[in-house]
Amino acid sequence: MNKVEFLRRLSKTLDNIPAVEKNDILFDYEEHFNIGMEAGRTEEEIAQSLGDPYILSKQINVNYMINKAEKTATAGNVLKAVLASVGLGFFNLVFVLGPFLGLVGVLIGIWGVSLGLTFSGIILFIATIFRPMLPFIINIPVSFFTSIFLSIGLTSLGLLVTIGCYYLTKSFHKITVRYLKMNLQIISNYKGLT
Amino acid sequence: MNIQFKKGVLELCVLAILSGKDHYGYELVNEMSKNISLSEGTIYPLLRRLKAERFVTTYLQESSEGPPRKYYKLTQSGRKAKDQLLAEWDLFVAGVNNIVKRGDDHE
Repeated sequence: MNKVEFLRRLSKTLDNIPAVEKNDILFDYEEHFNIGMEAGRTEEEIAQSLGDPYILSKQINVNYMINKAEKTATAGNVLKAVLASVGLGFFNLVFVLGPFLGLVGVLIGIWGVSLGLTFSGIILFIATIFRPMLPFIINIPVSFFTSIFLSIGLTSLGLLVTIGCYYLTKSFHKITVRYLKMNLQIISNYKGLT
Repeated sequence: MNIQFKKGVLELCVLAILSGKDHYGYELVNEMSKNISLSEGTIYPLLRRLKAERFVTTYLQESSEGPPRKYYKLTQSGRKAKDQLLAEWDLFVAGVNNIVKRGDDHE
């Protein structure tokens, strides 16, 4: 493999990294080639000792994605970081994607419950207010005061769970990033990368 | 060397090399691969990470033989990180030696 081929392969698999940063990375390797050739080594020798560009780029990609997910906490960034980690091997398909999707499912469930509680409270409140006007349409089998308090209770409970859910989602993001970092370290050690 | 330790140790090596004087990438990689067998390409992602953590900074400097080269310089917090890693490393080596040497005595 010569210099152009090495850089082409590296560049091809760094497709998720913005152009400026990508050029910066490629520049480092290009400089490495140039100085090595000045020192009398051949392009093939240098490419050989640099290692497999495909493995290198995977490593760089994951580093970049995790860094980004840590800095700007959007759901998309976290998901991209997870998927980049999954690209590192079958092990991660099981130990990263599995738990991640499971926990996302649980989070969606809790969000559903909290919103459901809040809205049912609000609807019960409205229904209670309108019952005297529309006695044939709205049928609530408890007294006025019971259903008023019930509706206020439901709404407050729903809001409380919503707030809890918000913090849960935030810490889920933090824990995901931390886990990915730890995972990256283990996988890297396993594959002998840095 | 046990692969579990390679990552932390490589970081220590790079920081230690830079604590002597500033190096450009190729020079640094050369220094590393002279002593440790590794995929040379992995040093560059490591350097980027050290830069992101502000343990090193970079600057361009003219060279006599060609285009300017990117030099790496250790920062104050990089020096601190190096001292800490080195202390951990010494402790680890001393511990291993204790065990290994004791094993020898029993033979």
